[in-house]
Amino acid sequence: MRPLIQAIKGGIGGYLIGALVTWAIQGSGSMSDPVPVTFGVIFGLIGWLMGIGVWNVWAREWFGLPPKHQVASDWRRYFQFSTDHKVIGVQYLVTFITVLLVGGLMAMVIRLELAGAGEGFIAEDTYNKVMSMHGILMVAVAVAGILGSFGNYLVPLMIGARDMAFPRINALSFWLIPPVAVTLLSAPLIGSFEAGWTAYPPLSVIAPGDGQLLFNLGVIAFGLSSILGGLNILTTVATMRAPGMSWGRLPIFVWAAFAASLISVLFTQFFAASLVLIHLDRIAGTTFFGAAAGGDALLFEHLFWFYSHPAVYIMVLPAFGVALEVITHFSRKPLFAYKAVVGAFLTIVGLSAIVWAHHMFTSGMASYLHAPFMALTEAISIPTGVVFLAAIGTMWRGRIWFATPLLLAAGWVFNFMIGGLTGLFHADVATDIQLHDTYFVVAHFHFTIIGGSIFGLLAGTFYWFPKITGRMYHERLGKVFAVWVTLGLNLTFLPMFWVGVNGMNRRIAVYPEELEAVNRFISFAALFLACGFLLFVGNLLWSARRGEKAPDNPWNASTLEWMLPSPPPEHNFPLLPEIVGHPYGYGLPESRHAELAAAGGE
Amino acid sequence: MRRDGLIVVAIWAVLTAIGEFAVVTWSMLPEGYAREADVVNEAYLLLLILAVPVFTFMLSMLGYSAVRFRSAGQPHDDGPPIHGSPKVVAAWLAITGGLTLGVVINPGFVGLADIRGSSSADMVVEVEGQRWIWKATYENGGLAEDELVVPIDTRIRFDVTSADVVHSFWIPAFGMKIDAVPGRTTEMFVTTERVGSFAEDGNLRAQCAELCGLSHSQMAMPVRVVERAEFEVWLENLPRDETGTEEGA
Repeated sequence: MRPLIQAIKGGIGGYLIGALVTWAIQGSGSMSDPVPVTFGVIFGLIGWLMGIGVWNVWAREWFGLPPKHQVASDWRRYFQFSTDHKVIGVQYLVTFITVLLVGGLMAMVIRLELAGAGEGFIAEDTYNKVMSMHGILMVAVAVAGILGSFGNYLVPLMIGARDMAFPRINALSFWLIPPVAVTLLSAPLIGSFEAGWTAYPPLSVIAPGDGQLLFNLGVIAFGLSSILGGLNILTTVATMRAPGMSWGRLPIFVWAAFAASLISVLFTQFFAASLVLIHLDRIAGTTFFGAAAGGDALLFEHLFWFYSHPAVYIMVLPAFGVALEVITHFSRKPLFAYKAVVGAFLTIVGLSAIVWAHHMFTSGMASYLHAPFMALTEAISIPTGVVFLAAIGTMWRGRIWFATPLLLAAGWVFNFMIGGLTGLFHADVATDIQLHDTYFVVAHFHFTIIGGSIFGLLAGTFYWFPKITGRMYHERLGKVFAVWVTLGLNLTFLPMFWVGVNGMNRRIAVYPEELEAVNRFISFAALFLACGFLLFVGNLLWSARRGEKAPDNPWNASTLEWMLPSPPPEHNFPLLPEIVGHPYGYGLPESRHAELAAAGGE
Repeated sequence: MRRDGLIVVAIWAVLTAIGEFAVVTWSMLPEGYAREADVVNEAYLLLLILAVPVFTFMLSMLGYSAVRFRSAGQPHDDGPPIHGSPKVVAAWLAITGGLTLGVVINPGFVGLADIRGSSSADMVVEVEGQRWIWKATYENGGLAEDELVVPIDTRIRFDVTSADVVHSFWIPAFGMKIDAVPGRTTEMFVTTERVGSFAEDGNLRAQCAELCGLSHSQMAMPVRVVERAEFEVWLENLPRDETGTEEGA
């Protein structure tokens, strides 16, 4: 635990140094002015990173000192600057499941307020803060939940590598997350954090108090983590594949992680840059978005969505990979149309760059942009359709084993289909003008993000749980959970389409009384959905300690990670494996994906 | 295997028939008070009608596979080594591509042209959003802050702007919204075609639809559509906006 204590000391120390020095230079005002707070957070972040291990494991080398590596091999390694990709994967998984639960609690507060039409349970400003916080936390879970956890844990295992390409950058990208969480969570506490996760100016510029500053800094740091993580996955896949692992033999999850990482690396900086501009408008008196001085609020919306629409594919692509992986192994058939799916992933990456303005049909942007952005957005349904074809084509005539991972993957198909089809109503200009910013869009993106991304996270958690922990989860509880969340999701979000169509806009604490009955039903359904997660957490916690010992390959699956012991040894492969065939050789008894070389001398 | 295919097609046909019947007869759509709301509803219904067969196809495939190809417990053998066929992929791309093209054209381009309509208007109302109220100024200088009243069968252009942050001027019953952006004037055209008031239909309100801070929820102004004569009387009695400029935010 020592690094953690040092990190906390470093964080607090860094904050005080940054804030005090800027305050002294500033010469007037107080420590809680925007500029000292900004530099406090930046130096606090550096102090935290140095304390957790960047100094010992890494930075000492820059000054010619021998690095001090940490060596814990027990549970304490999860609280250290470990460079083992499997440790980092678990760190991400536990962290983001925790954030998911915290974000879920906030959703419960939102639903409690919306159980009644009038002002009730919480004040409007509290509502805005909770709603904004729920948004950014869940966006973070969706962006990094799968990519950080399974991307880190499994990409090296699946391609036959001993670690990621940049293990220390990998540790750095994880250890950025805890201070980001602290920064974001303290934003509403120090006041005025009400612009939502979308942070549109001028609201985000003129809101008094420092909450918005912390939001900006936290999200920028999170973006850095996301870029570094993406870079690492790209480099790892490009350069560290085992002999024989051609691009055409990569398991589909690896392709999905690769495609999503491309988007992280290409687009995240636009969100960061737009928040830097807001930050400067707030602390340095610039007027990028101040209309009175020649700025333009629409500029922000363009920059913001230029990242935030591609970000949707950072969220869902890895889940596509998990779902197809699970469907393939649990149907015991090769993935249907593998090459077309890879093509679809890359097409989605390309198209994601040129559809952002469909979020802005009612923004007042030039109207000649409507038609092309509508057409391009609708074109995304073609590659997405290929992913669905692969899912049903693989199941067709398979030997489908309805274990928990497959139930959740099938749930993914169903829910994401609803999300995808209702997306049409937002791509279409005529319907979007009416439905934009209503509960219809709330329902739509919850089907895509929960159905499309979180279901992938859940399916993957059960699928790889035996590999990661060395123990089996409780199957019956798992199945109950899978049915429970699918039911809960649909009961909660299907009625939201109706209230949206019938005139309820989003991000409001007070709404027309005639919509109260349906909203109350939604609130109960949301509570039901949330309770389901007790089963999830209970199952995992209990099984990690008491579950049956897992064999190396409980699913009799064909990819490389299942050829290793559960959990895999520290450097994965004693000798690099040789890849000799397609990853999904089901139906051909003589087909082999890889040969593991025995450890030397045996 | 041909039998499996035929059964799925049969299930698909039945589900699609049920789905289309449900969609067409059991519409969830609220009544519109403007021509634009009718365009929205038409496009909405068309998209639903097109989405139903896609949804039911996936559902039939998923459901039938789950029943027919289900293995009791861990399977001991594998399914056939089918890696996919280029023909199936090509057919799938042709069908989804065709459907997409269809949707892009109608309701896409058709609906877009339809909802925009002509760029001429019978009257202009200037709307300004300011946290957390709307102010509507009519051509005679009348200023409405408590209720927005418009005549029936009239093409109205709303010139919308904001005094502080981004708002969105949304009248659900008209099927239209446009953001109110500081420093810009955005336009929204509405052609009224039915009489009604907020008291009768909650969707006759000008609701702010873009998060604008503390009382965003309550930034709404009742809307009333009245006969021409009634409107003229109302407009005459409207207090004039004589201040010219507003106090700073």
